[in-house]
Amino acid sequence: MKTGDNVVLEVSNLKTYFFTRRGVVKAVDGLDFHLRRGECLCLVGESGCGKTVTALSILKLVDSPPGKIVEGEIRYDSLDLVKCSSKQLRQIRGKEIAMVFQEAQSALNPVLTIGDQIMEQIMLHLPLERNEAQNRSMALLREMGIPSVERVMKSYPHQLSGGMKQRAMIAMSLSCDPTIIIADEPTTAVDVTIEAQILGIFRSLKEQRQLSLIFITHDLAVVAEIGDRAVVMYAGKEVETAPVSEIIANPRHPYTAGLIRCLPDISRPADRLVSIPGFAPNPVELPGGCAFHPRCSEGMPICSQQAPPVVELSTEHRVRCHLYR
Amino acid sequence: MTDKSQDTARATDSPTYGWVRLAGYYWQRTRVNRLAVFGLAFILFLVVMALIGPFFTLGPTLVDFEQKNLPPAGFATEKSVYSTATGELTITRVPGDWKHPLGTDSKGRDMLAMIVSGARVSLQVGLLATGIAIFIGIIIGVLSAYMGRWVDNVLMRFTDVMMTFPFFLLLVLIIFIFGPSLAFIVLAIGLTGWTGTARLVRSEALSLRTRDFILAARAMGATGGRVIFRHLIPNVVSLIIVIATLSIPGVILAEAALSFIGLGDPTVASWGIVLEAGQSSLDTAWWVAVEPGIMLFLTVLAFNFLGDGLRDAFDPKSRI
Amino acid sequence: MKQPDTDLLDVRDLKKYYQVTGGLLSAHVGDIKAVDGVSFAIREREVLGLVGESGCGKSTLGRTILRLEEPTGGNILYRGMDITRLDRKGLRELAREVQMIFQDPDASLDPRMTAGDSIGEPLTIHKVGNERGRMLRVAELMEQVGLDARQVSHYPHEFSGGQKQRIGIARALAMNPRLIIADEPVSALDVSVQAQILNLMTDIQKQYGLAYLFIAHDLSVIRHMAHRVAIMYLGKIVELAGNQEIFENPLHPYTEALLSALPSCKPKARERILLRGDVPSAMNPPAGCRFHTRCHRVLAICNREQPELVEISRGHFVACHLYH
Repeated sequence: MKTGDNVVLEVSNLKTYFFTRRGVVKAVDGLDFHLRRGECLCLVGESGCGKTVTALSILKLVDSPPGKIVEGEIRYDSLDLVKCSSKQLRQIRGKEIAMVFQEAQSALNPVLTIGDQIMEQIMLHLPLERNEAQNRSMALLREMGIPSVERVMKSYPHQLSGGMKQRAMIAMSLSCDPTIIIADEPTTAVDVTIEAQILGIFRSLKEQRQLSLIFITHDLAVVAEIGDRAVVMYAGKEVETAPVSEIIANPRHPYTAGLIRCLPDISRPADRLVSIPGFAPNPVELPGGCAFHPRCSEGMPICSQQAPPVVELSTEHRVRCHLYR
Repeated sequence: MTDKSQDTARATDSPTYGWVRLAGYYWQRTRVNRLAVFGLAFILFLVVMALIGPFFTLGPTLVDFEQKNLPPAGFATEKSVYSTATGELTITRVPGDWKHPLGTDSKGRDMLAMIVSGARVSLQVGLLATGIAIFIGIIIGVLSAYMGRWVDNVLMRFTDVMMTFPFFLLLVLIIFIFGPSLAFIVLAIGLTGWTGTARLVRSEALSLRTRDFILAARAMGATGGRVIFRHLIPNVVSLIIVIATLSIPGVILAEAALSFIGLGDPTVASWGIVLEAGQSSLDTAWWVAVEPGIMLFLTVLAFNFLGDGLRDAFDPKSRI
Repeated sequence: MKQPDTDLLDVRDLKKYYQVTGGLLSAHVGDIKAVDGVSFAIREREVLGLVGESGCGKSTLGRTILRLEEPTGGNILYRGMDITRLDRKGLRELAREVQMIFQDPDASLDPRMTAGDSIGEPLTIHKVGNERGRMLRVAELMEQVGLDARQVSHYPHEFSGGQKQRIGIARALAMNPRLIIADEPVSALDVSVQAQILNLMTDIQKQYGLAYLFIAHDLSVIRHMAHRVAIMYLGKIVELAGNQEIFENPLHPYTEALLSALPSCKPKARERILLRGDVPSAMNPPAGCRFHTRCHRVLAICNREQPELVEISRGHFVACHLYH
């Protein structure tokens, strides 16, 4: 993997485990990826694969008992975030690495106006006067394409529609001009027309501000629309990493291929969808060897015995599968 | 019809099978909480004490002035006697005796027997009064939520009135007229203590009413009665168990408080009665007040711990 | 696809308004016009897809047809019989033939009832067979939807999301219905599970000869499942056509915008139609055509007159002034 040139974030061997009564849940189990400036990296996977926990681990927002970052390095700007003190992290959170959550409804404070919330974030990190912060907030909201900015500044979250709330959250995350934005399924809870607007906003942010984006989603179509590179996750591990065009056109891992095949295609309706048999594994009792092997159409005897290693198919394309050894 | 289906049908012939598993699931979630387990253990201990204790102890009302004011076994007090004849102050040491392991009170009644009897009284009052209150509360709460509109309005205004009702004054009045009796105390507490339950049950039932599985039952053609009894109430039961467990200590304390101020039933030895008797001799015979006090304290703690543990166990959102 | 037969469900000008009260005396301040004059028909063995975004009234429409909400106006005919004001006894009989599948697998099952109890409840309510017969039927249904019949005594919390949805489907099938209203049955499921459930629904549709009113917000799912598609916006149907027709030849501007907004694995370099503004409130819908405030092809007449749903070409209905 090329590091160095232009890399803003590098995650190495991240392991975040949850120690519960029922056993140890290895939510993230040895994840490696890097993020370059101005790039959108998508973390793709279904529920339980560990993508949200990865995002929370980067900012060390994981619920600390029962969760714990057991191993790994997260290198940002010559710091290892895993080893940073709370004081250092507080400088970084919101200011340099910001997060946009899935449900704007629960991420926004219902008793504060939108204006207050954005300004609070600004004044926490930047040495601005209140009216300067206010102007900056309004400029951001305008950039999000929100009409009647003054009214929105004075509104409470419940007075706004879903799309507006989501855009307000994005404005809030931009308020201190961060280097990286982590967006956790920002369009899942939102209608398709609003989703298109929000994806457009992210696209222009990437181009105009050279913003680096970690975009978490389960929707491969969204990945195709906005991602530059994608990391496909299953049961806490990376199974395939490649540029998005590669992954869509030429998926190597059977899970990735299965995910793409089971999407209903609007241009070619079929009688039956090709589905991935079985269901997601119990996180406390993962299958031995490759976690995907019970559902894999290409399974070989070795798959149930040995965990597959990561194979570099090219400088930009990696797969974790015995098929490619 | 495949053979596998027939095997399954046979395997599920016993209808209690599923119920036992559900109870087991909630028990697993409860026993994680050590305080709750302590609470449950203590309550079981009380129950056993109340049930078989009386067979092993002396009578609680057995008066024996010879043995008055004995300290608990292992303790000793000093008794000073001034002899007018000799003009001397003799101080004798009075040790406790294992015949009265917890000592005696000013009338020589065995403390252990009275504590045991008190446990019985407290549990009876606690369970009966709470039972009455919960029963009324469920009916009013569920009816209010399911019938809605004017029925809801009327019932809730009635509940508001009852909440402000001074049950204490009512009790004083009843006792003044009819004389003190445990039955009156239980009835008075039960008939006025249902208001909180009614409100909680109503709000839970209201939130359940719009849930999809209730809609599904209606879509299937279920009658209103079936929806209430087969779907609403079982889902409210967990809330009720928690409410009941947390109400019992209040009831027990209410009875103790009434006895303490002299409105209790003097024919039964309840902890409150003993406390009241012991308050005047705190300096000489401290154990008469302290022992029932400790029991009340532990009992209330136990029910509260258990109630909290049950609440967490039943709440699907709490991760256990 | 086999040609659908006779009319099973005929909805005529159906309305469902919610009264909004305000002020000290709870005066009637206005109405939320959740469903405002909707007409369509579903034939036997046909799948009608109903698409719209949140707040368009599609879920309300589904529930009103089953009389889980009382209609404010209009008529619903089932197999020729007017069920709009059917009494409770009649509705129970109707429940044998028309059933519903819900969106949230967690909320649609009673957490205190086992899978077997939930699936068998319709049989118990309608007193079908004896207890033994019912148990056999439950086991049969579980196998049909792909569940392990040995889990009949398990509680909902012991199943995964996809399995819970299968339980819901088995329950809907118990009485051998003719029409199933599926309210966003796969929206809450992962993509791989979604594919399994959609296949299951296709299979049982063929096997039982069922008709579906398939409500969804995901156009690609509708494209896969439906014979005909209706697009809803703010309580009204704006376009209704056959599956192929509506995706290859969308007429209403809203349909165009929906199709254009859909993220796709093969993003075409196409002109993205981005709608202006947000969805207006259902209590104060815009005058004239409800969509005109966001329409990219708006005309002068659109803010004065409401367009009627009119058949433009065979089987293709649109409510838009562009085509009158």
